[in-house]
Amino acid sequence: MMLPVRQAFLIAYSTGILWLRRNPSSLFFSAISPFSLLFVLFVISNGQYSQFAIAGSLVMALVGYGLALGQDISFYKTEYKIQDVFVASPVSPLTYMMGLALSELLFGLPALTVLAALVVYFGASVFNIPLIIATILLLWSSMSAMGFFLSSHMLHMRNATQVISFVNVILAVLPPVFYPIANLPDSLRYLSYAVPTTHASLMLQHSMGLPTPAEWSLGFGYAVQIAYLVGFVVLAKTKAIWRET
Amino acid sequence: MLAIDSERLTKRYKGSSIAALNDVSIKVESARIFTLLGRNGAGKTTFVRMAATQLMPTFGSISVLGYDAVRQAKQVRQLISVVPQEGRPLRALTPWDHVYNWLQIRGEDKKIAKEKTEDILQKLELMQFRDRPAMNLSGGMKQKILVAMALAVDAKLLFLDEPTIGLDPVSRRQVWAAIKDWKAKGGSILLTTHYMDEAEILSDQIAIIDKGSVVAEGTIHDLRKIIPQNTRIDVAKDGLDIDMLKSYGSVVDTGAGTLRVFTFESSIRELSELALKRNLPFTVSPVTLDDVFVYLVGNLESGGQRA
Ligand SMILES: Nc1ncnc2c1ncn2[C@@H]1O[C@H](COP(=O)(O)OP(=O)(O)OP(=O)(O)O)[C@@H](O)[C@H]1O
Ligand SMILES: [Mg+2]
Repeated sequence: MMLPVRQAFLIAYSTGILWLRRNPSSLFFSAISPFSLLFVLFVISNGQYSQFAIAGSLVMALVGYGLALGQDISFYKTEYKIQDVFVASPVSPLTYMMGLALSELLFGLPALTVLAALVVYFGASVFNIPLIIATILLLWSSMSAMGFFLSSHMLHMRNATQVISFVNVILAVLPPVFYPIANLPDSLRYLSYAVPTTHASLMLQHSMGLPTPAEWSLGFGYAVQIAYLVGFVVLAKTKAIWRET
Repeated sequence: MLAIDSERLTKRYKGSSIAALNDVSIKVESARIFTLLGRNGAGKTTFVRMAATQLMPTFGSISVLGYDAVRQAKQVRQLISVVPQEGRPLRALTPWDHVYNWLQIRGEDKKIAKEKTEDILQKLELMQFRDRPAMNLSGGMKQKILVAMALAVDAKLLFLDEPTIGLDPVSRRQVWAAIKDWKAKGGSILLTTHYMDEAEILSDQIAIIDKGSVVAEGTIHDLRKIIPQNTRIDVAKDGLDIDMLKSYGSVVDTGAGTLRVFTFESSIRELSELALKRNLPFTVSPVTLDDVFVYLVGNLESGGQRA
């Protein structure tokens, strides 16, 4: 295996698998939380609203993993000084980020699996499974890169939690992630296309057979998400604090 | 080749008007132990972190093992290993996990990683706790995990920022032995410590930093010569006339009921007889690094030590 890949897996193994082996209960808690909003929406809408709620919960969970990664990274840096050990070693910042992001994914795996299964259950054909997985992976990687980038800026912030909930609102609450994009007036609808999570949710809605706007297509969705992924990775690579200045 | 070569290295942290490190030029020979001493906030960690490619210099240059630590950080990072100041192991991971996984992350295959992990855990007496999560280990054992991680790595230059902090006297000696093994294999070491005995035992070369500048540099032998007198005599304070003692050299109140007279070998006899006559306990020893340190960077006036 290529060394960076092996390094990333070893980091994920240390911070994810070994941790879970010793604290299995944390898997339970991280698996449960993405279902809270789903539960509320399901009850309120009498099940009418399930598909939007599932798409929204899946997207929100992935945004959450990215932000949690940011928090983990700031914590490892300031509290444990672990990042200092990694910086002064052949491990590159992106490998470090990948390792911790994989470990985050591991914690999210039970919830993601159930949510993805629900997407299929609520109308997606099995042929759409690759699309669902691609959507998850794309959003997971761009949110992880965003988390890594944000982490540097959360380091010395006493209001890091506020920043995190703000970003969460911008990415998962305001845009049409949990609700039909058609509910938005034209101008806001076009604005919402600038947000990557809008497209992730639309892709999931699409795979469940929900109608999507005429001006939107899968290709458009992929293009915007890939653009964000590239952008966030570049930001993570160049602007996240690795060597301190 | 020099292990570290800094030229006028300067660091001004963002938002700070004074330099944490100012114009520091240091040469660390390879296969040697170089120690940085200095009071809290003197700039030791700042220097270490710039050399270890963790922090950007503001001005000046620093090369590590022949590579520029700023422009060729990638090459430098292949060759170094660090113990950061005040690092902490991950709570859920055991000493074994830490060292074994770290060695693999640094590119060792499983078999070698296993051997090296066993070896270092043995050396640092961590073997009987190898499978205990760090959160259930004592403070000193946690510190030893970080030291073990750094020492197990196959690198050319080791950065140790206060590696033995919080270790008991036996554990410290185990770490010293491991450090010496590292050097015996041709490795270089940049060490910082507040323990003068540690510095005396380990260092080939010492630099004393004060407020961001090097105020003295040399071997222990060189540094001892900084104090004009070469001998110190500690004598119980009771009823001694300080002014009389001052005629032999400089006098410092150690605060432990004794006066310390820095003087010359030629006065040993006279002072000893004086103490013997009054039945006062006394000890004679050469000037130590501790004395040199206090002499150079101790603010005796405000510390109220000078008798
Ligand atoms: N990240 C930082 N931002 C701003 N100032 C800093 C930062 N880190 C250190 N300093 C300042 O730089 C100076 C040197 O600090 P440094 O940590 O290098 O000291 P040190 O010699 O290692 O001290 P100690 O023995 O206490 O570890 C201090 O005045 C400190 O306040
Ligand atoms: Mg320090």
